[in-house]
Amino acid sequence: MVSAGTLHVVSTEMTVGAFAMAGAAFLLAGLASHDLFGMRRHLTLADNVAHFALAFGLLSMPMAIMTGIQASPGEGVDHPLLINKMLLASTAFGLAFGVLLTRWRQGSEVWLHEWGRRWQALGGMVAVGLILTTASIGGTFSRGESLLDMLHLPYEHVPLMPIWLSGFIIVVATVNLVLLRRPAQA
Amino acid sequence: MTRHRLLGVLAMLLLASSQGAANPSGVGAGTFDAQCGGACHGDADMNRSSPATVTVEAPEVAYDALLTSVSVTVSNIQTTTNGLLGVFLLSDLSGAEDTPADDGWTVISNSEGGVENYVEAHIAPGQTNHTVSWTLRAPAVGTYNLHAAIHHGTQDGSEAPFFGATASPATVSVVEVPENLPRLSATFTPPTQITVGQDTEVNLQTEFVDVVAVDWRTVGGEAQTASVRQLEDGSWAFTLPASVQPVVIEWRAHLEGEGPTQTTPWFQINSDDASWSVDEPTAYVQSVAMLLAATSLFVGLQHRRSQSPLKAYEADMDEVGGDD
Repeated sequence: MVSAGTLHVVSTEMTVGAFAMAGAAFLLAGLASHDLFGMRRHLTLADNVAHFALAFGLLSMPMAIMTGIQASPGEGVDHPLLINKMLLASTAFGLAFGVLLTRWRQGSEVWLHEWGRRWQALGGMVAVGLILTTASIGGTFSRGESLLDMLHLPYEHVPLMPIWLSGFIIVVATVNLVLLRRPAQA
Repeated sequence: MTRHRLLGVLAMLLLASSQGAANPSGVGAGTFDAQCGGACHGDADMNRSSPATVTVEAPEVAYDALLTSVSVTVSNIQTTTNGLLGVFLLSDLSGAEDTPADDGWTVISNSEGGVENYVEAHIAPGQTNHTVSWTLRAPAVGTYNLHAAIHHGTQDGSEAPFFGATASPATVSVVEVPENLPRLSATFTPPTQITVGQDTEVNLQTEFVDVVAVDWRTVGGEAQTASVRQLEDGSWAFTLPASVQPVVIEWRAHLEGEGPTQTTPWFQINSDDASWSVDEPTAYVQSVAMLLAATSLFVGLQHRRSQSPLKAYEADMDEVGGDD
């Protein structure tokens, strides 16, 4: 039989691997869209790889989360690292989803606009960075160390907002997303 | 459509495998029958006999509703690479309704710092013996058997579930409490958890007791005497010093009165770091808020920039000197 811990490792490697590839591809796409190092001709390739890898990483995330919950000791979220992991993963998921949504709605034209391509590349790379930080927290939680420990990130501190403020943000963000469904006026 | 069905089947298979997985990392302490806690370890069709020897030690006589101590020693231990060993204290070996509570015992504490009949101990490499102690409140007058069982994995990679049990139970006769027996009050419950770095005051309630003396020790250490002060008739207090790191502290009381002097069993207190907790609903809602905020912010940002891509594209092409 395969334990939840083993499945978590498999699904986490899938997720992190996909995101890492997406990160590299977003960097290349950013460079190519700015025609740096003569890379413009690789823009289409980097664009496709970046967004497909990001989408695959997003699809793998629920499996990683479910197996992670099953594999974790104890009941509930009883450690600051787990809370920070959850908050970071949520933010990364939202940002990655926004990047994909933008790409889906604007198509490859997103790379034609100066600020659009800049934000698209940055958004993808930041989402990847957040996921890698999340994975680093997982390593710190399960093994007591991770590669990012050298940065001395404050994993033990949990920045929690009042629940009313979270609710307000949810309402504002949802309304904003609904309003943004309408195409912009040229 | 076929693709969606294939994805659905794959997802179900992946999820089913995790649900049916074994628990090489243990299931955690709990109140379990041998079958429930052992799962496949307790299934005679699947398990293998553990080479370990399990013995249970208990006093021959206990007093009705008073506290007594039972210890289970496992020797010739073999476990998995993570050293996890599950130990049960049981009222019989039938596999169902066999917890001590099913015979009327109440588990007050155990030496692993819990209040359950099943504990999981981490065995260090090379360690061949391990003892787990339970403090129990005795049931009604009668004769009772106490068994112990263990389960564990193996290091040979076969992932076989091993199960072992006591060859013979410990038999305890629970008798009426003599009228003037110096004793702890039936309502007294010893503390089981204290916080590292803090002195701990323990309040004792007694009956038919004139003098109380208390010994305490860390596991494996020398016993020391605590200073006991009488608060009022039948109420006493003593202070355990602060521990500097997580450790199991044991204490016992010598009770003197008109009747024969009594010594309580060793009670275990687990000193641990201050527990951490968070308002989980607040964290979950904030998680959703951050997800939606990130999506909304990014889509909004790109939405503003997408208002005139054609114009920007033309400007861009002018800048780089033409299309590729």
